[in-house]
Amino acid sequence: WLVEYNAALASICFMILLGFVDDVLDVPWRVKLVLPSFATLPLLMAYAGHTTIVIPKPLVAYVGLEVLDLGRIYKLYMGLLAVFCTNSINIHAGLNGLEIGQTVVTAAAILIHNVMQIGSSTDPEYHQAHAFSIYLTQPLMATSLALLAFNWCPSSVFVGDTYTVFAGMTMAVVGILGHFSETLLIFFLPQVLNFLLSLPQLAGIVKCPRHRLPRFDPATGLLTGTKDGTLVNVYLRLFGPRSEKSLCIHLLAFQALACAFCFLLRHFLAGWYK
Amino acid sequence: MTARKRTSSAVTNPENPPPATKEHKPTVASGEDFRLAPPKLGVIFVISSLLCSLYLYLLCFHYNVDDELKRPILINAGLSLVGFFVTLKLIPVAARYVLRRNMFGFDINKRGTPQGEVKVPESLGIVVGIVFLIVAIIFQFFNFTEDSLWLVEYNAALASICFMILLGFVDDVLDVPWRVKLLLPSFATLPLLMAYAGHTTIVIPKPLVSYVGLEILDLGRIYKLYMALLAVFCTNSINIHAGLNGLEIGQTVVIAAAILIHNVMQIGASVDTEIRQAHAFSIYLTQPLMATSLAMLAFNWYPSAVFVGDTYTVFAGMTMAVVGILGHFSETLLIFFLPQVLNFLLSLPQLTGIVKCPRHRLPKFDPATGLLTGTKDGTLVNVYLRIFGRKSEKSLCIHLLVFQALACAFCFLLRHFLAGWYK
Repeated sequence: WLVEYNAALASICFMILLGFVDDVLDVPWRVKLVLPSFATLPLLMAYAGHTTIVIPKPLVAYVGLEVLDLGRIYKLYMGLLAVFCTNSINIHAGLNGLEIGQTVVTAAAILIHNVMQIGSSTDPEYHQAHAFSIYLTQPLMATSLALLAFNWCPSSVFVGDTYTVFAGMTMAVVGILGHFSETLLIFFLPQVLNFLLSLPQLAGIVKCPRHRLPRFDPATGLLTGTKDGTLVNVYLRLFGPRSEKSLCIHLLAFQALACAFCFLLRHFLAGWYK
Repeated sequence: MTARKRTSSAVTNPENPPPATKEHKPTVASGEDFRLAPPKLGVIFVISSLLCSLYLYLLCFHYNVDDELKRPILINAGLSLVGFFVTLKLIPVAARYVLRRNMFGFDINKRGTPQGEVKVPESLGIVVGIVFLIVAIIFQFFNFTEDSLWLVEYNAALASICFMILLGFVDDVLDVPWRVKLLLPSFATLPLLMAYAGHTTIVIPKPLVSYVGLEILDLGRIYKLYMALLAVFCTNSINIHAGLNGLEIGQTVVIAAAILIHNVMQIGASVDTEIRQAHAFSIYLTQPLMATSLAMLAFNWYPSAVFVGDTYTVFAGMTMAVVGILGHFSETLLIFFLPQVLNFLLSLPQLTGIVKCPRHRLPKFDPATGLLTGTKDGTLVNVYLRIFGRKSEKSLCIHLLVFQALACAFCFLLRHFLAGWYK
């Protein structure tokens, strides 16, 4: 597993480098999209696992196979997953403590998932994969919590792109090398939602301003949702104006609920799906 | 103690205009109008030919290298060539971004002339580092299968080098204290030490066998300590043997050429597949280093249009330490580094504080004659000037690079003559 560990380190380190260079030099966003793909390459090389997916039982009749070997397409999926993770945390941001907050909530879910899989399985390969994920997620959790001590509302420091891409990459890495990337995607439900909401503006169909933050009213101290397509704004429009701290806590609770929903989903679909 | 080519005031007060007594000439306009001087491709062509021709001749014609080994080497060479052109294209782009963030310096060795007023973009080593990493990462797909043992060492090398580039760039941006600069590279070498699966024995030189009582001595952990110290030494020694336009990259490409020649000689002369793999591994990382560095040298050669920053020097030092360690030729590497060792020894009194150590230990520049004069500082640059008289910056740099080449040639001679006697 030294290969996978070093590949993980190389990928994460390269991502931190790119994040820091971006923070210093402010690279254009097209570059920001392409470069993480290179950062994931060591990972893809080192991924020595199966590239097959298990067809859900109800669909077996239609597809005709029980197990489908995707080969290179699976690697493409992993590459896209990494690019998605690194960028999605970046756009679901803007409130004090939101970036680190979503990371630690997701990390906690990852750790719980890992230990559950280790406890309920007898396959040593399986144990190793999830232990590997723990080895990288625990440091992520600890260092992030330390930063959160300064970044929680009201923030005395900002995290920069350096943190968001690093956190996203680390979680993508553990998801890929721990072989639980689909579970990871469901943990990332709020980020996926946010990405889908943002698509019109990111694609340029709707006008996209430099910042898509909610509007702050100094008199009341409350944030009001604008028409921008982000989860932050949509939440405010649905549930009314809030203070920044309260909104952040609500969104983190939503993140935790999404993770809990994932665990429920896995529990109920266990027999039916696979 | 790094001979940084900038005055600290330029870095700490980017917004304030220079003192009123000095006439402030608007030389370089705002970022939008900035145009980097064109790359000196002619110089690069000459330097490349001088350095690479012997290596390419040995690789392709002189030695009968196994096709299975030659193919990846040539693929790597091709990728490195692409890296050369990519770096060439990216440096002007990056220079604009870097200047926009006020990361620049003034050329101290031109102070008093109009050239000394020009804002020179700093830390362009980041471009070299990133292109190198991308080339190295892409190359993996052409050579290693997924369960290859070399993949561990390759990824460990990438992790170490990447971490070093990160630390170098952070240092360039944040200017970390030198004690931190000494300590952190040790962490960057750790992945390397973990992955080093080779022997930790040394062969006792034949004349000493009777005294020591053993033919082979297993140093175990001490050998790993030696490797870590070697890496820390390499990363820092290039940094202090600097200060002239083109010197940092120049010494790197000269040593890299020597490394490549040594590698191909060992591949040609050996039948042991392990040894050939080790030296091929070294080639896979040194070719991209060479190519991207030469591209940067096109801009950094006298007179420098960009500065390399600590980012480049620590990256180059680390890469060479990595190939030396994983290619199992670290003693040879140390002899290639003879000028750097000399410079380090000369600098010791000032580094340890026994002799007063100024911020910059550069030679004194006389704007009237355009020549540099050696000061009493303990650096190879100054000592060379004191022995051989005043020189222009370009001439001095060429002299020092020739000295570097001579040191490498001396190493080859030494190996040749001591081959039977030493081992």
